[in-house]
Amino acid sequence: MSQHAHSLSRRRILQLATASAAGLGLTACGSGGSGGGAGGADGDSGPITVWSWTTAAEALRGVVPSFERDNPGIKVDVQDLGNPAIWDKITVGLASGGKGLADVLHIGVDYLPGYMEKFPQGLADLSRLGADRHKDAFADGLWPTVVGKDRAVHALPWEVNPLGLFYRHDYFEKAGVDPASITSWDDLIAAGPKIRAATGARLLGLDKPGSSQDVDFFQNLLQLQGAFYFDAEGRITLASKPAVEALTVIKRLNDAGLVSDIAGEGTWKRLVGQGKLATAPDPAWAVEYLATKFPAQSGRWRVMQPPAAVPGGGRSAIVNSTYLAVSATSKRRKAAWRFIEYALTKPAEINRMFASGGVFPALKKAYDDPKFSAPHPFYGGQQVLRSFVTSLGPGAAATNFTGDYSRALKFAADAQTQVLLKGADPAAVLKAAADQLAQQTGRKQAA
Amino acid sequence: MSLAPSERLGATGDAAADGPAARRVPKRRHSGTSPAGPARPSGRRRLLTRGSIPYVLIMPAVLGFAVFKAYPIAASFWLSLTTGNGDSQHFAGLDNYRRLLADPLFWTALRNTALILVVQVPLMLGLALLVALGLNHSKVWLRPLWRLGVFIPSLTGLVATGVMFSVILNRDAGLLNWVLSLFGIDPVDWLGSSFWARIGVVLVLTWHYTGYNAVMYLAGLQGIPKELYEAAMVDGAGPVRRFLSITLPQLRPILLLTVVLSTIGTLQLFDEPYVLTGGGPDNATLTVTMYLYDNGFKYFDFGYASALAYALALIVSVLGVLQVRLMGERR
Repeated sequence: MSQHAHSLSRRRILQLATASAAGLGLTACGSGGSGGGAGGADGDSGPITVWSWTTAAEALRGVVPSFERDNPGIKVDVQDLGNPAIWDKITVGLASGGKGLADVLHIGVDYLPGYMEKFPQGLADLSRLGADRHKDAFADGLWPTVVGKDRAVHALPWEVNPLGLFYRHDYFEKAGVDPASITSWDDLIAAGPKIRAATGARLLGLDKPGSSQDVDFFQNLLQLQGAFYFDAEGRITLASKPAVEALTVIKRLNDAGLVSDIAGEGTWKRLVGQGKLATAPDPAWAVEYLATKFPAQSGRWRVMQPPAAVPGGGRSAIVNSTYLAVSATSKRRKAAWRFIEYALTKPAEINRMFASGGVFPALKKAYDDPKFSAPHPFYGGQQVLRSFVTSLGPGAAATNFTGDYSRALKFAADAQTQVLLKGADPAAVLKAAADQLAQQTGRKQAA
Repeated sequence: MSLAPSERLGATGDAAADGPAARRVPKRRHSGTSPAGPARPSGRRRLLTRGSIPYVLIMPAVLGFAVFKAYPIAASFWLSLTTGNGDSQHFAGLDNYRRLLADPLFWTALRNTALILVVQVPLMLGLALLVALGLNHSKVWLRPLWRLGVFIPSLTGLVATGVMFSVILNRDAGLLNWVLSLFGIDPVDWLGSSFWARIGVVLVLTWHYTGYNAVMYLAGLQGIPKELYEAAMVDGAGPVRRFLSITLPQLRPILLLTVVLSTIGTLQLFDEPYVLTGGGPDNATLTVTMYLYDNGFKYFDFGYASALAYALALIVSVLGVLQVRLMGERR
């Protein structure tokens, strides 16, 4: 081929190269500007849309008929966007100044503080609409999460997931381990080999390579000590003593051969189904989940309050929680607020949603319902829900997620993976993680 | 034989040469200084002249590019110079770029991407060339069916591919380990160890894109004049000699194209590792675009994400130029 032809194709290729590379900039950028409250209005009637996901969306739909009956003029459309797709949609909506968002948004605690911090004008000020009167209505520890830097309330708590320890009662019996004697993870680590010898089951499953970035267990061990990745002032505490204690518990469990790797789609479910896990440190939603997914194991499971991370330490932790908020750009903020208030502060409604979707309510009055002291056949007639309500008592401290939670989560997951796969030293990897988090966020580390 | 294309190009060159000449004509008319020119009514400018028609024709594309490409590219650059919250960005100069240079995760991501590039692209292109040579062979039975089969993986959705392979590569219940067990090989922790997770990603990419490249090579192979081979055979050249002296040189433009496109594609790698490993274990398969996505859409740090995008664009451009220099100039 001639020289000329070469230079032609070369130029074209170069254009292709730069254009497609720079096109990345397009996907990466979100517009910085936000109209804040601009464009929104306090409309009190008309159609409103709600974004939620799966079972929660279904549960919310159950509230709509009675709400529409009591609030003529408001039409509610609940949309199931799916999780995690909903986060991208809300994030993009907030980043583009609230364009295209639904009126009501269902938001998890892992995103809410980030949204409130990074888009202070994104979620409507509900204090102005009267949200503060519900301040003491919800489980301890949730309210600080909904209050923004502007001291205004930006969401109402819906779901709270207190931690419990589900365990195979039959395995404990077979191994001669008295559940009542287990008060800390120290006790469990001591009992673990006995259980394994008697039943072949390991204690629990963890995603060792951390591909799902699921470090709930590590996080729970922190929360049981009243600690987290950040302190109340937003300083980084990822390398603190409680964090090292937590990761050390995980390392000891792993070194003793008590941890199964649950990486990969459906691995945990399969292991539980085969009876290869003796315990499951999981929140309240697992009550119905276990009962529905493993009917063959009926009568073999029980629940206890989570063992303390360190001997003598606290035994309650809130794994996570979800909230309903109103978009600041909603044209019908009052109507949206009325829906939220109706769904989340009426015990009858919230318990109806609990019954249909398994979303454990944050509303304290809801616990008066007899269902919370009903015996559960799957758990051998144990009053399982009562044990979770007890966990929500004083002691379940507020957790300061901050706007940099997802970044902290990533570094925590990396640190845990290094310990589980490479036997790294907990204190050293947490120090490195805390340093990186500080470098990336500009936050100070707590001394 | 290779005169034909250059002749055609010569013709294009002529056409290009009389382009400016044609444009010069109305210019002279408008200047109105030519006393010899026929008097034209002033103020009546013809919009569609021979010179302007091409510009009118490309206008939609230019407008589209300006609105949907050029503006976001420029806005993203501006964003990369800012920092702060979603709705209160402030100018920060080169802070994001400085932060990038000191960010170990960025370097990890870049190293991973480079590693995949160096291992996967040559492997895939070599394989694609072999497949194309096979498919081009006249003795292969049911050729269209084979060609279709080879191409089909590249039509599979990226996320679907990732999900499919996460099932295949599952350590305990995956298809691949089951097959290996038939040969008495111990299960491999495909997604759980740094080394094998990288191999896993390479495997998925190779499965997905080999057919695509093979089809390009096939097109190239079919464009090589048969006479060249006939002449070579008359001169007594064996198959290896024919491959080295005819096939490869003739394929060079297409080889270059696939190398550059694959390089760009690999540097922008996102979907497969995102679905397959989430960047793990311990960041062994974290790529630059995944890190970029995390910063933008998980950490809401759009300024930093834009800086990452620009760093990546720069790297891609430099590599592209280098490759074209190395492979294109040699004669």
